[in-house]
Amino acid sequence: MSHRMALETRALTRSFRPRRSPERTALDGIDLALPTGGIHGLLGPNGAGKTTLCRIVSTVLLPSSGTALVLGRDVVDQAQQVRRSLAVVFGGERGLYTRISARDNLLFWGAMVGLGRRASALRADAALEAVGLADRARDRVEAFSRGMQQRLRLARGLIGDAEVLLLDEPTVGMDPVSAHGFRDLVRQLRDEGRTVLLTTHDMAEAQAVCDTLTFLDHGRIIAAGTPRSITEAVRTVRVTVADAAPEHRPLLQARGFETRDDGTATRSAVRGEVADHVRALTDAGMVQVSVVAPTVEDAYLSLIGERRTGP
Amino acid sequence: MSPRVAAIAFVGGALLQLRQMGRTPDWFLAWCTTPLTTLALVALLMHAGRPDLAPAAVLAPVLMGMWSESLYVGGEVISVDRRAGRMDALLAAPAPFAAQHLGRMAMVSASSLALVPLAWVPGSLLLGRAVPVAHPALFAAALLLTAFAMCGMATLMSCVFVLARSARTVQNALSYPFFVLGGVLVPVSLLPAWVELPSSLFFLSWSGDLLRDALSATDVEAAGWRLAALAGLALGCWAIGCAALARTLRVARRTGEVGHA
Repeated sequence: MSHRMALETRALTRSFRPRRSPERTALDGIDLALPTGGIHGLLGPNGAGKTTLCRIVSTVLLPSSGTALVLGRDVVDQAQQVRRSLAVVFGGERGLYTRISARDNLLFWGAMVGLGRRASALRADAALEAVGLADRARDRVEAFSRGMQQRLRLARGLIGDAEVLLLDEPTVGMDPVSAHGFRDLVRQLRDEGRTVLLTTHDMAEAQAVCDTLTFLDHGRIIAAGTPRSITEAVRTVRVTVADAAPEHRPLLQARGFETRDDGTATRSAVRGEVADHVRALTDAGMVQVSVVAPTVEDAYLSLIGERRTGP
Repeated sequence: MSPRVAAIAFVGGALLQLRQMGRTPDWFLAWCTTPLTTLALVALLMHAGRPDLAPAAVLAPVLMGMWSESLYVGGEVISVDRRAGRMDALLAAPAPFAAQHLGRMAMVSASSLALVPLAWVPGSLLLGRAVPVAHPALFAAALLLTAFAMCGMATLMSCVFVLARSARTVQNALSYPFFVLGGVLVPVSLLPAWVELPSSLFFLSWSGDLLRDALSATDVEAAGWRLAALAGLALGCWAIGCAALARTLRVARRTGEVGHA
């Protein structure tokens, strides 16, 4: 296996056997190869296996079978080296000591990456500066907004100067402005040469920041590629009409459009049918007809939706 | 893992616990109850015309408080971290989890030494004279070894509480039976004979006897051997605590859980 890969898994499988319940397979033979550098998104519905993958990669959980390498080091046999090269940043309300200050949190996590007191203090101050919390360094974390707490979690991830950052749903619960600022920080980290593995449910976020995407469902990879290649693979596009008059409704409904009282109508159409729809609508007198290229969300819905509803 | 990194994590854990304690007043419950318990016990003995037993009445709340701190503060560290979603980050960190955990337990035990003056001062005030400490060196050594053993016990308890489905019930059940077994309130020699064997395997009984003797003006018999026995039991507590912790972490990595959610 190449050591240029930030994360490489081969036939990675993890099963759980809850008490008095049948065995459940969370990861089912995952083969993954994510290169160093860039932001790599892991997407999938709840229960797809994203968090299990993150926990195995971060050495917290043992795989049932298969291998996982971080920068060429095995997460089971070389767990200690993996821990030094990887930092985990959780979203939500996890991972911080809220009754103490932001700086004291970082001093502790500095100790947990093996930094002495002086080095820890220097790195803590630098990390707080990097995430824009230097002026709140001595405030208790419990007084922070969710966005500030998330920036502090990122600072915690930065304190060990890890080459690989694993961000597990980092913007969950954040307001749009905070989430936007957080994504800028993540891009900065990529520009500094770090590798970022990002799990998220936010498709707009994935499209905005990720260089590669991997879709997981039922513990398996169902699609992988760049956002462009993923969206290009979507067979349908969205056709919308903004000036549908009441007399246009029969035609629109006959062609499978969803019509609304505000004069708009929309439908998904396979690429080969688009020209025919557009021609028919414009011939009928509608002029505000547009074709919207598929987004990552469309790709997600197409991939996951197909699997949920069946062929 | 280098000893230096482990030492840094140990100190980091101790400082984290200290900083958290400064912001968590409810962790200092024993600091409030110990003076009051001391006053009650000393007053009881004075009323009964036995002021000579006052040193024992001062000592008992100290040991009870130290035990409670270990049980309720130290013992809950892993459970609280798990509830707050910090366990994964701690387990994924380069420094050994056990080092920071033991640092935190050590700080809990060290802070509980403050219970000595908190019992001694009100006890002396009520008695109208300073409660004498006839053998201060022995007293200090026995106290430090007791704190050391409490640290190991807290580590063990923190694992037990993570695995137990009803941790609070277990916590409550581990107080007074152990005070009796440890001869904290009543010397073991005054209890039924069958209690002596299990009691002799429990570090608190050696602590209580040694500390009581250290307060007494009479010569202390076999102080060195008894200290060695206490040290041995304290080391045993640490060994069992560390083994339990290692097993808990192994199970956590294998099953994906650190006990019941």
